Formats: sequence, structure tokens, C-alpha cells
Amino acid sequence: MNDKVQIAKSAEMQLIEDKMIMLVQTGRIDNLIDLLAVISDNIEMTTQPMVEKMVNTVDNLASVGFVTENAVRFAKRETAKNSVPSLFGLLKLMKDEEVRRGLAFMLNLTKGIGKQL
Amino acid sequence: MKKKILIVGGGTAGTMTANNLAKKLMPEIEREEVELVMISDSKNHYYRPGAMYVAFQKAAGHEFVRDQRSLLMPEIDFFVDPAVEINTKANYVKGKSGKLYNYDFLVLATGCEVAAERIPGLVEGGDWFYSYEGAKKIAEKFAKIKNGRVLVTVNFPKTPNIPHQCGIAPVETTMMLHDYLTERGVRENIEIIYTYPTKAQAVENGLFLQSPTSKVLPSVFDSINVKHRTGFTLTKVDPAKKIAYSEEGEEIPFDILMSTPPFKAAKVIRDSGLSKAMDDEGWLPTDKKTLKVIGLKNVYTLGDTVDLPVSKAGGTIHNQTDVVADNIAAELRYGYPTESYDGKVIAVAQMGLSCGMPLWYDYEEDVQPTPCSKLGSFMRLGFNKGLYWAAARGML
Ligand SMILES: Cc1cc2nc3c(=O)[nH]c(=O)nc-3n(C[C@H](O)[C@H](O)[C@H](O)COP(=O)(O)OP(=O)(O)OC[C@H]3O[C@@H](n4cnc5c(N)ncnc54)[C@H](O)[C@@H]3O)c2cc1C
Repeated sequence: MNDKVQIAKSAEMQLIEDKMIMLVQTGRIDNLIDLLAVISDNIEMTTQPMVEKMVNTVDNLASVGFVTENAVRFAKRETAKNSVPSLFGLLKLMKDEEVRRGLAFMLNLTKGIGKQL
Repeated sequence: MKKKILIVGGGTAGTMTANNLAKKLMPEIEREEVELVMISDSKNHYYRPGAMYVAFQKAAGHEFVRDQRSLLMPEIDFFVDPAVEINTKANYVKGKSGKLYNYDFLVLATGCEVAAERIPGLVEGGDWFYSYEGAKKIAEKFAKIKNGRVLVTVNFPKTPNIPHQCGIAPVETTMMLHDYLTERGVRENIEIIYTYPTKAQAVENGLFLQSPTSKVLPSVFDSINVKHRTGFTLTKVDPAKKIAYSEEGEEIPFDILMSTPPFKAAKVIRDSGLSKAMDDEGWLPTDKKTLKVIGLKNVYTLGDTVDLPVSKAGGTIHNQTDVVADNIAAELRYGYPTESYDGKVIAVAQMGLSCGMPLWYDYEEDVQPTPCSKLGSFMRLGFNKGLYWAAARGML
């Protein structure tokens, strides 16, 4: 019987056994088992709606990151390309539809913030 | 002279590639040496796999639709103008508006569409979840059915060794259906029969288009009491009698026919004369490594419209898009492409309503099926509801 077990055990199994023995002897095994239990409990307690809400938050953050990063890069490029506009030049910028759309967005943004204060 | 890159199609492949090109070519864009233009036939972007969840009333549908402009970096000029003509000799694509879009490099990413009309009676008698309208229609039927039989059928393109859209979807939806009917408390009174055609790419008389998965499926289906049968290639449907007929000479009556219908490439591609696919299916002849349209020096393609043997799936495109973007960037910089696609596909299959199975394969290695898990299903949910949009924007 013993012989049989010896034959079936691979070098890899022996390695795992040695490592496990080390964990038991050094007392680390208790913490590791606790950690595994915590991970398992967390998976057990997490529900689909929870994941969905978390992902939604991540998606919102990613969207804000995308819009902001793009807008900053765009603004940097435009600013570098053109000389500093005069007061009148600033007003002329507002003739551009995309500028007006962006400005309206910023104003609505302040309203959105104001509503929460 | 400014070089112009034109991307046709604002779906998964076109959007990822346009954003990746913008990122990779930013120095050239800053120096005004490169211009990126995208045209699409819709102002909306649809996350297509979302339709599967609509079919089982796990989503309403609107969650999976976004404004295409909001997914594109500002360096990309976007026009809603369906392409109606592709001229690869004069290097232009014509829009429905009449406008000509010239290009130095062209990316064709117009996907594929359901061609249910190719099977007599299927439009009237069958259902499918491969479009949002189709999914809503079948959802109503699934919500009402109390007893009877749901028959699952799968059709492949007539052109050899090309898969239908999203190879794993018939298996996914069969398992989702089992869970959904169980949830509704009617599963015991409803028989589910999963069928598969005699020839499915390299597999004959199997239940899936790759052999390792095909071999484990019988035990998976047995465990949830789904009947399964190979050698059933749907050829005709009698909508009045509700009978499905196979090329092999069998007939199976049904109450609901959940079909994976035939697919074809977009009309503009089929009309372009570029394809040599059978039955006017329109798949573009694609170099499996460079992802160029074979015979054309400056035209690339990826996604559902290619004639490669790999899955027509987002998990494929995610691995193709950087090859296309890098190759175009390399051609602009050094005059030749540098990257090669290895056929890699990475995805998480939805094996039932709350179980996910990560899978990967490439030109050399088939998928090795593994047990699905709750964590896997969370990964999939994360992708459906958030990570997809980040991937489309070229953020991951
Ligand atoms: C129900 C279902 C489930 C799926 N499940 C999965 C899954 O689990 N995992 C996975 O990885 N993949 C899955 N997929 C597949 C995945 O959605 C597709 O592979 C992917 O969307 C293909 O991307 P594409 O860009 O090639 O085509 P599409 O995303 O279809 O985009 C094509 C674009 O071209 C545009 N277009 C068409 N004709 C023209 C024209 N003449 N001019 C201009 N524009 C045009 C369209 O409007 C569209 O924007 C699933 C698909 C479906 C339908």
C-alpha cells in the first residue's frame, strides 16, 4: 500500500508537500487559510447587482478620464499653435460652435455642482 | 502631403482601430502629417453581445447603445455617411451623400449581418438573438412559453472553414435558456434540443466548431437535461406547421426555433467585387498575418467581415486591432508592416446566467474547455457593463 503511494507521487507533488510542511512548521498556514477563507467569503457574498454598480462607477471614471485627457491634449495643441488672443480674439473664439457647446457644458456643469451644494 | 487614413464602420473593430491609430500616430497628427477619418452608417454604437441578455430579460437594451462620437478621440473626424462604393483603384470610398472620401490607407470594418432570408421560412418561423429587434421578439416568447419544445439550430457560411458570428453563442444561449426557464419554474415542461450541422469548419458530426469543446459538450448538456443531436443542417422551415427540416433529411417540430441564422458581409463589401466567397457571402480575402486585404497594398480589414477561420468575435478584434494599427503606423514610418496576427482570441463565455468561462485560443491551439465559475461570470459582467467601452476607446 505504502509502496503504491510512493510510486504515484510525482516530483511536483513532493515539492508541494515540502512547501506545505514549511508553512505548517513556521505557523504561517493559519494566516494563509484565514486569507483564503476571506477571499472565498467575499466571492460568496458578492452579488451581480453589486458588481454591476461597481463596474458602472469604474465606467464613469473611465469616461471622465477619456474626455478630460482628450480635451487637455486638444487644448494644449490649439494653444501652442495660436498666439495669445486679444480680448476681441477671445470673443471671436466663441463664434465656433464646438467652443460654444463646450462652454454651455461647463456652465451646466457648475449648475450640476451647485445642485449638490 | 498629409496622409489620410479612412476607417469604414463604427462598430467594435472600427472604433478600437481608429482610437488605437490616433494614439500610435499622435506625433504625426501633432505635426499635421496624418489625418484620421471615420464614416459609419449610424450615429450609434451597439455593443452587440448585449442582445443575448435582452433575449433572457436580463437587460432592456439601452444599456448597450452609446453615441459613436463619444467613443472617439477628438483627433478622429467622424461622419454619419453610409459607404456605398469602394474604389480601390482610385483610392476612394463614396458615401451615400455623394461625397468621395479619398484615402492613403483604408480600414474596412463593416462587420456582418443576419441573412435569415437565405433559409426558406426562417424569417417567418424562426427567431434569433443576433440583433436587438430579434432578441426582443424572442424574449417575449421565452417569457410566455409554459410547455413544449425549444429547438436550437446553427447554420454556417457556405464558404468553407468560416465560422458564423460568435462561435460560442449557441452554447451560451442554450445554457442561459436552461437557467432562465428554471428560474421561471417551467423548465420541467419544456424540452430543449440543441442541434449542430454535420459540417462545422474542421469538425464533422460534432456539437461545436472545435474538437476539444465538441467532445465535452455531450456531458455538459446531459447534466442539465438538454437533448443534443449532430447532423442537423437547417435547410427549410415550415412556419405554419412549425417544423424545421434538415439537409440530412430529418424534420423536427418545435414551439420556438432559436436559430443561429446564416450571415453575410455588408452590402457595400458584397458589391465591391473584392470578395471571392461563395453564395455572395462577401467575406474579404484577408492575409492571416498582416490583416491586409489580399492583393491590395493599402487596404486592411478586421472583425466580422474577414474570411479567416477564427471566431467572429470582439475577443478576436481586441487582438487584431493593434496589429492593424501598428502595421499602418509602420508603413507610414518605414514603408512596410511590422506586426503579425497569431490568431489569438480571448473571451469570457457566458455559460448560463451566472457562470463564466474564460477561454483563449489561436491559429495553432484550440480552446481547452475549463469549468465555468461565479468569478468568471463577474469578469464577463464587468466587460459587458463597463470594460467594453474602455476597450473601444483604446484605453485597454
Ligand atoms: C448576440 C451576440 C453575442 C455575441 N457574443 C460575443 C461574445 O460573447 N464575445 C465576443 O467576443 N463577441 C461576441 N459577439 C460578436 C461581436 O459582437 C462581434 O464580433 C463584433 O461586434 C464585430 O465587430 P465589427 O466591428 O466587425 O462589426 P460591428 O460591431 O457589427 O460593426 C460594424 C459597423 O459597420 C457599420 N456599417 C455597416 N455597413 C456600413 C456601411 N455601408 N457604411 C458605413 N458603415 C457601415 C455598422 O453600422 C457598424 O457600426 C456577439 C455578437 C452577437 C450578435
